[in-house]
Amino acid sequence: MNTDVQQRVIKAIAEVLERNEEEIRLEASLRDDLGFDSLKQMTLFILLEDEFQRTMAPEDLMGIATVKDIIEFINRKLQEPASK
Amino acid sequence: MNRRVVITGAGVVSSIGVGVDEFWRHCLQAKSVVAPIPENWGRYANLHSRIWSPLPDINPEYLGVTRTERLQLDPGSVNALGAAREAFERAGFNLVPDADSSRVFSLEGVDAARIGLYLGTGIGGAHSFLHNHTHHLYQRARAALKDYAETRAPAQDRETLDGIVALMAHGPRYHPFVVSMLMPNASSAAVAIKFSITGPNVTYCVACASGTVAVGNAFRAVRDGCVDVAVSGGCEYLNDEHGHIFRGFDVAGTLVRDCADSETANRPFDEKRSGFLFSQGGAAVLVLEELEHAQRRGATILAELIGFAETFDAHSMMSLAPGGEQMERMLRAALADAGVDAHDVDYINAHGTGTKNNDETEAEVIDRVFGKSVRVNSTKSLLGHTIGASGAIEILVTALSLRDQTTHVCKNLAAPLRDLNFVRAVGPFDLRVGLSQSFAFGGHNAAVVLRRFH
Repeated sequence: MNTDVQQRVIKAIAEVLERNEEEIRLEASLRDDLGFDSLKQMTLFILLEDEFQRTMAPEDLMGIATVKDIIEFINRKLQEPASK
Repeated sequence: MNRRVVITGAGVVSSIGVGVDEFWRHCLQAKSVVAPIPENWGRYANLHSRIWSPLPDINPEYLGVTRTERLQLDPGSVNALGAAREAFERAGFNLVPDADSSRVFSLEGVDAARIGLYLGTGIGGAHSFLHNHTHHLYQRARAALKDYAETRAPAQDRETLDGIVALMAHGPRYHPFVVSMLMPNASSAAVAIKFSITGPNVTYCVACASGTVAVGNAFRAVRDGCVDVAVSGGCEYLNDEHGHIFRGFDVAGTLVRDCADSETANRPFDEKRSGFLFSQGGAAVLVLEELEHAQRRGATILAELIGFAETFDAHSMMSLAPGGEQMERMLRAALADAGVDAHDVDYINAHGTGTKNNDETEAEVIDRVFGKSVRVNSTKSLLGHTIGASGAIEILVTALSLRDQTTHVCKNLAAPLRDLNFVRAVGPFDLRVGLSQSFAFGGHNAAVVLRRFH
């Protein structure tokens, strides 16, 4: 797994939740363990778009349940061209 | 209940300065920032005006705005947050971080329910609306056209199609928070959320008079005992990728037309004026406070607010009523509200846009009500027109002028359209009572009266 992407995703999650990065585990469920609701999830993906300069559509987020899912998703997105 | 109301804090974001100290220093130096409009705007329309007053590049973190906040707010709200933070700090409030969020603060030692929020804006989050509207309108059409151009179009059409595709440029996505970014009350809500203010929260949408009307009503709320502290002012962000907002004012014939010499093109109250200088935007926030409340805290007092009035022309959406009857009625009501006579007023911060109609009628009314001795200037002669922020910025200038017993020049005034006492040089003046007035599209007239605080 790309550790740079992993660190940046965890940093973004910590930024949205205002928690320490050390508290964000890879296996953590966004909803059940970290308390993400739909607004926080949208906020997170806006931050990730900004962080990685990739556009994410709502349908892209289907099936994303854990921190690890996000990291894998971002790694796939990084294969695409950057946003304008 | 008639309580005394004072200004204890101020913050500002403008093209000529971010922060009150820099802004005021540049005002007294008659600094202006004038630049050609973005080149790509000319691809969408034939524009008559060619200059504007752009904001400096401001790091939102410098304004105390985090990335998470910035990405969910219109730039106008970001600027309002920055101005508000400076105003609270200057007012001497200790900002206590919230236990659950480092992005949220409360004002130590003040009952949050006794603080009101009164902000003005002319066009709210129009920038965010247009940015997302362009995506909504063009994203699929542009992709289809681009695909056609690249795969099936005849070779001889390719250059034309590429040009059309380029014109359909749009942002990368439709923002999920677009509604809360574009709604006009977003700025006042954002400030109150960030600083945990739970009293009345009102947005005044009165075009170019928005800031003045907001401060005036905040003054009344403190004076009448509705709140002890009122956070008031105006904010505006007039930029968009395609020059749409600029075009709206340009096509109405309100913007400066004679741009041959960009440094002197903006010339309110001059015979050769040709319209107003379009500003990218700005924000000014004032902390108003009941006098004893401020004194108990040991706050430094900038000036006292003593009167406010507003009237409406009921004449035309886009044009001042000839003769300025309702402007005069408003001014006389503001003086009565303040308990002063016209000859007591030493200084007027005029609306002074630089349009033919405004300046002519405004000068005529000033002459009629105040005579020729009152000192007059136009802050718009320095930084152009910030629409909904302008009134608040000009009340700030009036307060600073009373505090420092000086004020800035009415810039680029070579041939005054009327024999009034326009400020031609910065000097020590005896300024006891000042008045800041605004007139707006729609027909709104408003003024706030201030007094030097001893």
